Amino acid sequence: MSIALSPAVPVGTTTRKRAGMPPMVVFALCWIVAMLVVAAAVQWLSPYSYTALDLRARLQPPVFMGGSWRHVLGTDELGRDVLARLLYSIRLSLLIAFGATLIGAAVGTLLGFLAAHLRGFVEQVVLALADFQASMPFLILALSVLAFFGSSLTLLVCLLGLHGWERYARISRGLAISAGAQGYAAAVKQLGASPWRVYGRHVLPNIASTLIVSMTLAFPEIILLESGLSFLGLGVQPPETSLGNMVGYGREYLTRAPWILLSPASIIVLTTLSVSMLGDWLRDRLDPTLR
Amino acid sequence: MLRFLSIRLLRAALTIGLVVTFAFIVLRMSGDPALLIMSADAPPEAVAAFRKAWGLDEPLWNQYLSYFGAILHGDLGQSMRDGRPAIQLVAERIPATLALTVPALIMKIGIGIPAGIFAALHRNSFLDRAVMITAVAGFTVPSFVLGLLLVLVFAVQLGWLPSGGQEGWRHAILPIITMGAGGAAVLARFTRSAMLEVLGQPYIRTASAKGVSWRAVVRHHALPNAAIPTVTIVGFMVGSLLAGAVVVESVFSWPGVGRLLVVAVANRDLAVVQCILLLVAATMVTANIVVDLLYGFLDPRLRSGVKA
Repeated sequence: MSIALSPAVPVGTTTRKRAGMPPMVVFALCWIVAMLVVAAAVQWLSPYSYTALDLRARLQPPVFMGGSWRHVLGTDELGRDVLARLLYSIRLSLLIAFGATLIGAAVGTLLGFLAAHLRGFVEQVVLALADFQASMPFLILALSVLAFFGSSLTLLVCLLGLHGWERYARISRGLAISAGAQGYAAAVKQLGASPWRVYGRHVLPNIASTLIVSMTLAFPEIILLESGLSFLGLGVQPPETSLGNMVGYGREYLTRAPWILLSPASIIVLTTLSVSMLGDWLRDRLDPTLR
Repeated sequence: MLRFLSIRLLRAALTIGLVVTFAFIVLRMSGDPALLIMSADAPPEAVAAFRKAWGLDEPLWNQYLSYFGAILHGDLGQSMRDGRPAIQLVAERIPATLALTVPALIMKIGIGIPAGIFAALHRNSFLDRAVMITAVAGFTVPSFVLGLLLVLVFAVQLGWLPSGGQEGWRHAILPIITMGAGGAAVLARFTRSAMLEVLGQPYIRTASAKGVSWRAVVRHHALPNAAIPTVTIVGFMVGSLLAGAVVVESVFSWPGVGRLLVVAVANRDLAVVQCILLLVAATMVTANIVVDLLYGFLDPRLRSGVKA
């Protein structure tokens, strides 16, 4: 269905475009794949458990700063291996960001479809909520919710999932309305399909590329938000560890052991950079709303 | 104009109303504040007295109305921790925050907009690439990482500047740079794309074709048209003058509103959190109205006010 309806993108062009992928994007893709592998295989990759203490080897510098190979990236003040903590942090931070991005996309798309389907009052409410969300700094909203409920992992994921829902809602509402005008949605409806079927099987596949692009653009923002909250001590709580958590904790040892903070900080920067480069590139390739 | 203004004001009031409702709902959903504040082994009479003092024993609907009414009278409650009015606690911190955010805003505008314009006018030149790479880096490096790196270099390694606290102007330098750099990058990116969009318009070609000098084309045709999206972003930055400092103030232990918010969240001091939330909403809404008025100034087509 979707292939038949999008003759503007013949199959051959995709391969040609992939060949023309800029080296920076190739690098970004490799980095993302590496991070995903780390997240999936952390049990086998990690040299130690992330909570294992080695009290005789506290605040050991990493190899490139004159440390030993036993602790490649050094240790913290309890003798916990920085590399092991880093790998587990990558997993948790990515999991949170993935979960939150999916929640945001699902909630936003659903509300957007609802607005497009029901119109009238519901549509106005959705749009007013979207305006409200877009006009408030998200960090402040997130902080106030955390103040009221305290921090837990589930709450954190749900909360970050609310970030950016309004963008998906606007996109899916706009595209669903225009899909309704294109005739194919009206046609399946005439054939007796339920709204679930019309939106889920026919409209959604047709607008998926735009939504995926928005997801790649929202993903790095969520990583930054999570690490910011965890850095402030209000996100992921110990003994769990996330990238922002490590930076916040390493801050106390900034003068004596800067390596505790430098490795998670560089992972945050490289990952957000890679995902947003990939997202920008995808947007230029895929998004039909941009020329 | 009057109609336009009244629609805008109505929307602003609606937004503030939504924020108040949001705060109220979240507050009541989070459980019994009496049990949160008082220790678990507090005598039941004390808990009951606390409920009565805070109006927690009334029906929810009454609580909502009296809550709304109190806020309209400027009563934002008392800090549940130290008993002083929340608004007073917050107001004390505002000057410290503005001392960072206003210079940072000037830095964002002073660097970001010229850099963006320059990059757009010299598209694909070496300097354009450099500006854009810096801009992307500015967006992806979180402010706490940048702040800590600056501390590591300028305070720990070189010892030129203090790493935190608020004793004099030298303490403000690193926080201001940390805050300004990211915003300047965002602004440069936006200004560049707005300029590129405008420079591709037919009226630019027309102006050039009829012999107007390039300098005049840029000044009279390109810049005013590119100003509209840029003003929107600047408006958002002005609106977040109070909110934008949360992370940076924490990095540099700067005693401003942001630091107060983090401490209040950690202590679950709900009145203070609410007060800051409302303050942020009010600044944001005011900035949005000013931006809307500026649109009318920048673009005569929007002056009629029909576009609400």
